[in-house]
Amino acid sequence: MATEARPEKYITTFQQLMEEGRKNGYRLDWLLPRETFGARLDSTPEAGGLLLQDIDRGPFAEIPDWSDNMTGRPRGSLTRANAARVGNYSVRTKADIWLKNASQLYEEAVQRQWSSAVDVPWETMEELPDDIERAECQLATFLTEVEFVAGDVPGKWISETTPDYYEPRMFLISQIMDEARHMDVFRKRAFANGGGLMSQTTNVALSGGAIDSARDFTEMSARLHISGEGLVLSIFRMGERMSYNEAEKAIYRLAASDESRHVAFGVMHLQYLSQTDPKRKEEIHSYLDEIEMGLVAGTGGQNPAQRGTPSNAALAILLGGGSDPASMMEGEQIALAVRQRQVKEYVQRVKVAGLGERFENGRANATLAAYVSA
Amino acid sequence: MVQQQNQQASVRRDLDGNLVPELPDLSWMDKTLGWGIKARVEPFGGGMTVDALNVGVYAEVPDHIPFRNRLPRGAYPAPGAGSIGGYYLQDKHEQWADCAGLLYEEAISRRWSTATDIPWDTACGLPDDVELAICQLATELSQHASVETEVISGWLQNLSPGYHEVKLFLSTATYDSARMFEGYRKRAMINGGGMMLESPGGMNRAIMETYAGWSQTVLGMWFIRNALDTTILRYLAAYGPTEADRTLAARLIPDRMRAAAYATDHIRFAISKKPELPIGFQVWLNGVEFAQARDLRDPVLTESLAIIFGRGVAGMDAGMQIVRRLLQDFVKTYLSRCKQANLDRSKSLTGPFQMLLAGAAAPPRPQA
Repeated sequence: MATEARPEKYITTFQQLMEEGRKNGYRLDWLLPRETFGARLDSTPEAGGLLLQDIDRGPFAEIPDWSDNMTGRPRGSLTRANAARVGNYSVRTKADIWLKNASQLYEEAVQRQWSSAVDVPWETMEELPDDIERAECQLATFLTEVEFVAGDVPGKWISETTPDYYEPRMFLISQIMDEARHMDVFRKRAFANGGGLMSQTTNVALSGGAIDSARDFTEMSARLHISGEGLVLSIFRMGERMSYNEAEKAIYRLAASDESRHVAFGVMHLQYLSQTDPKRKEEIHSYLDEIEMGLVAGTGGQNPAQRGTPSNAALAILLGGGSDPASMMEGEQIALAVRQRQVKEYVQRVKVAGLGERFENGRANATLAAYVSA
Repeated sequence: MVQQQNQQASVRRDLDGNLVPELPDLSWMDKTLGWGIKARVEPFGGGMTVDALNVGVYAEVPDHIPFRNRLPRGAYPAPGAGSIGGYYLQDKHEQWADCAGLLYEEAISRRWSTATDIPWDTACGLPDDVELAICQLATELSQHASVETEVISGWLQNLSPGYHEVKLFLSTATYDSARMFEGYRKRAMINGGGMMLESPGGMNRAIMETYAGWSQTVLGMWFIRNALDTTILRYLAAYGPTEADRTLAARLIPDRMRAAAYATDHIRFAISKKPELPIGFQVWLNGVEFAQARDLRDPVLTESLAIIFGRGVAGMDAGMQIVRRLLQDFVKTYLSRCKQANLDRSKSLTGPFQMLLAGAAAPPRPQA
C-alpha cells in the first residue's frame, strides 16, 4: 500500500484504534487518514448543492499530465501492488482530452434532464398536410439515425480514457444520455402524428461515418462536437421556423439546450489543447481543413442541411411551408440562410477555441467567406 | 405529384459554384415501410413512451439485424448505405430484454441529483474511525461504478441500433453508474477523508476481460457485482451512520435494480431462444464467483463495513455479524436472479459462495 504524510493529530488516535482492532484479529492497515482528513467541504442549496467541481482537494485534485493508472482506480486513491492492469487506456495524456469546465458541464447536464415522454406537449399535434408530415418524418428519421453516432462514439472513448481524467468522462456519459433522449424523441415525432419512419441516409459517410473512424480523441471531438453537433445545433436553433405545433418547438428547444453543452465541450477541449500543447495546432488545423471542405460542399456528416439529401429537401419543405415549387424555392432560400448561420457559428467556435488565425492567414476555406458575407 | 415536381427541376449554381438542381429530388417522399402510424400517449400520465411506438409494421422486432449501420428499425433501408464497422452483435438473443424500453422510461422519469437531493449537511459528526470506514467503502463503490461506466459505454458501439430499446436503456445505465461514482466520491470528500485504498480488482478484471460476449458481461457485472453492491446499499440505507449516507444509498438502489431487472430479463430471453446457452453461462459464472470470492477474502471491504455497522472499531465484532448476514443476503440475491433467469445455480454454486451462503465464511482474520 502506498503511504503519505498524514496529519499529526490523527496518528496517535488511529494507532490506538488499529492496535485495539488487531488485538481482536482484524488487519486494519488501511485505516489511516489522508492529509486532507478533517477538512470539511461546504455545501449549500443556494450555491447549487455539493458540486463535482468543488470537491477535490489535495492529492485528489492533482490531475497528472500523464496518467500511469492502469488499474481503473479512482484518482487520488492509494494503490495496491497486486492489482491487475485491466485498464488498457489509450487516452492517458491530459491535453488529449482535458478541458477546464467538464465538471460544470456535467452538473448542468444533470440538472437539465428532461423526458421526451412527458415534457413534450404531444397533445398539441394536429393533422398536417401530407407533404409537411412526410418532411417532418424524413427529418426525424435522419436525426434518429445520426443521434446514434453521437451516443455510441463517445461511449467508445469513455472506455479508452483513464479514470484519472474522470471529469471529461463524466461529461461524455451525460452526452450519451442526452443523445439517447434525442434519438428517442425524434423517433417519437415520426410516429406521433400519423406518419412513420422514412428513408435511411444514402451512405454511412453522410451520417457521420468519419466520426467513428477517428483514431484520436481530439480528431473525433473536432468532427463530432465542433462540426457535426455544431451543424445540428444551428438547425435546432432554427426550430421555431420549421415547427408546426408546440410539441415540435419544445423538441427543438430542449434538444438545442443539450446540444449546446456538447458543442461547448468540443470548443473548450480544443481551446485547452491549443493553449497547452501548441505543437498539435497544425494537426488540428488539418482536421479543420477537412471539416471546412465538408461544410462548404454541404457534405459534412451529420448535417441535415447537406445538399442533395432527403433531409435537406425536407428542410426546404418545412421552411417554405410546402412541396409546391414556390414554397420550396422559398424554403431553399431560408435553408441557405441556415447554412450561412452554420458557417458563421462554426467560425466563431473555432475562434473561441484559439484557432482563429486560420481566418486571418488564408488557411480557412475561401468559400466560407462567401457564406459569411452573403 | 413527386414525379411532376422532379420534371420541373432545372439547373443552377450555389455560392460554391456547384451545380444544383432548381428543386430537390423528392422521390424519398414515398419511401416508407409503413405510413399512417399514430402512436398513442399513455392514458394515465405516462406520456409518449418508447414502447408505444411499436405499432403496426414497426412492432416487429426481428431476431437478426442484417445491417451493420445505423438504420433505425423500421426505416426504409438505403441499398448503398454500407457498413459502419462496429455493431457486430446483430442477433436479438445477444442483447434483448422485453423490459428495456420500460426501464428506459422509468430511468428518465426518476431524475435526481447528488448535488441537491442528498442532505450533505447531515454527513458530519462521526467518530474518526467510522468516517474513514465510510471513505474506504465509498472508494470501493466509486470504483465499482467507474468500471461499470467503462464497460457499458464500451459495449454500446457493438450493439446493433436495430434494438434501440436496449441501447436507450444502457445509456441510462451508464448514467446511473456515473451518478453512483460521483455520489460516493462526494461522500468521501465531504469531510476530507477522500479516496482511500483501491479495490482488489479481481472482479473488475472478470467484468472487463469478458471475452465471450455481452451476455457474459451482464452475468458478471449485474448478476454478481450488482447483487453485492445492491445488498451493501440496502444495509447502508438501514444502518448508514448519517441521514446523508442512508439517503444516498436509498436513492441509488432503484438505479441498481433497473440494471438487475434488465440483466435478469435479458438472460431469461437469451436462454429462451438458445437453450444451449446455460452450459456456457454456468462455466462462466464459476469463474466469476471465484473472482468475487477472492476479492472478498481481502479484508478491507468487510472490515470497513464492520466498523460502519458496529459504529466503530470497538464494535467490529458486532458489526461483523451484520456483515455475515449481508454476505448471505448477497448470495441469496444472486441465486434469486439466476433462478428468475432460468439459470439455476442452487446445485452448482462454487464452494466459496456456498460458504458465504451458509454464513460460515467469516471474513478471514489474519494472525494478530
